[in-house]
Amino acid sequence: MIRLRRITKFFGRNQVLKDIDLTVEKGEVVVILGPSGSGKTTLLRCINYLEKPNAGEVAIGELAVDCKRPSKKDIQALRRKTAMVFQHYNLFKHKTALENVMEGLVVVRKLAKEEARERSVRVLEKVGLGDKLDAYPSQLSGGQQQRVGIARALALEPEAILFDEPTSALDPERVGEVLEVIRNIAKEGITMIVVTHEMGFARDVANRVVFMDGGVIVEEGDPKIIFSRPKEERTRQFLKRITPEANYSI
Amino acid sequence: MKLDPAFIWTAFVKLLSAVPTTLFITVVSVAAGFLLGTAIALFRIYKVPVLGPLSAGYVTFIRGTPMLVHLLLIYYGLPAVIDGVSAAFGWSFRSVSIPYVVFALIAFTITASAYLSEVVRSGLLSVSSGQLEAAYSVGMTTPQAIRRIVFPQAFAASIPNLSNSFIGMLHGSTLAFTVSVVEINAKAQIVASTNWKYFEAYIAAAVIFWGLTVLIERLAGVLERKINIYNRGGVA
Ligand SMILES: Nc1ncnc2c1ncn2[C@@H]1O[C@H](COP(=O)(O)OP(=O)(O)O)[C@@H](O)[C@H]1O
Ligand SMILES: [Mg+2]
Repeated sequence: MIRLRRITKFFGRNQVLKDIDLTVEKGEVVVILGPSGSGKTTLLRCINYLEKPNAGEVAIGELAVDCKRPSKKDIQALRRKTAMVFQHYNLFKHKTALENVMEGLVVVRKLAKEEARERSVRVLEKVGLGDKLDAYPSQLSGGQQQRVGIARALALEPEAILFDEPTSALDPERVGEVLEVIRNIAKEGITMIVVTHEMGFARDVANRVVFMDGGVIVEEGDPKIIFSRPKEERTRQFLKRITPEANYSI
Repeated sequence: MKLDPAFIWTAFVKLLSAVPTTLFITVVSVAAGFLLGTAIALFRIYKVPVLGPLSAGYVTFIRGTPMLVHLLLIYYGLPAVIDGVSAAFGWSFRSVSIPYVVFALIAFTITASAYLSEVVRSGLLSVSSGQLEAAYSVGMTTPQAIRRIVFPQAFAASIPNLSNSFIGMLHGSTLAFTVSVVEINAKAQIVASTNWKYFEAYIAAAVIFWGLTVLIERLAGVLERKINIYNRGGVA
């Protein structure tokens, strides 16, 4: 489904991604963990070319794009096969919740207005915002905004949805409502790559956990195994820092 | 000197006939200057080779020289260029057949384009990169993203500056009288020339300009409230 091969990314002289290989199967939910600055966001953004990798190959389905010489058409195609949910929501500020969801359907997918509206309303109802169709982002709470962001991604019916720390900008009491929505989507069998620090979510929902550090994938595997018996010392250290109960014994 | 209040009213009524000319010059030069200024702003923001640096030079030159100088340069320079080109190609067209107002329109468009390019540029830079990224993430092309997402937000943020520029150009349009265009200011001079009541005539002109300015401010205010309903934040 998604195949990343030898993805390399530099910011100036700083190599942020080092020969990353990652394959995600259709319907799989992959959670990416790792300390801040390890390259998780950059990796996710390389998949839809918000960041241009310096070398490697990004493939989604039949479409394989060599990062050395991607054409505009290739980049466009990769973006149309994916959708992204951003840490800071990035809703279109000047559009209502409904318009935010409709925008891509009308402008990019060329759906008729009525059809786009119907589909958008349906998806917004699914994320529990059927009563907020005409609200502007500035009139919504963080949790509601992020649910619009998820609806915007979902409505496009992409082959995969990329989530970049979807709950880390939220007040703690809003995290649950957004995770709940993501959990429900995961059950529908949509391919997802989720960068998150929510361990409970990773344990329950992920088919696979990928641990990154310093621009490389240190270890990946079944969440039960990674969380209980990580092979690598770096993974162990990270999990120890991030899981509070592990610290009680000190 | 004795003030003749009755003549202020007489002049006021007579000056009204020049209001359309003033508005025409202002609106056309602001509209054309806005389009040109937008292109200039995009060349600069996207660092287009050749056009980008050229635009930057153009903006510093135009903003660094008075509006009256632009008008005089166009008024005296353009006919020579046009006649030269026309002669070289053997056309019968001569610059004398160009109405004076056209020189004013061209010169003021140039003036406005430089100032408005800065207004547009700051408006565009006020839109966060996350908006553009979100547009890309749903599959939009760059032109689609700029047209649908960036421009509307930049425009909303620019309304106060646009309104200021518009008022500046309205007041600046009085310079057109130097190339024999009868706008409000020139009309005041004409109206007063028969009886030397210049003070009264210019009071009437001032009142008209003030009224037009207030009108522009009001319209901008209404537009801003209408367009900015999505913006609940800010310091206000
Ligand atoms: N646009 C950028 N320009 C320069 N450096 C960047 C940029 N984006 C990210 N980086 C750097 O790349 C590294 C990885 O960042 P990121 O992918 O955001 O990590 P993570 O999401 O895991 O916290 C960091 O060292 C960060 O400073
Ligand atoms: Mg990140």
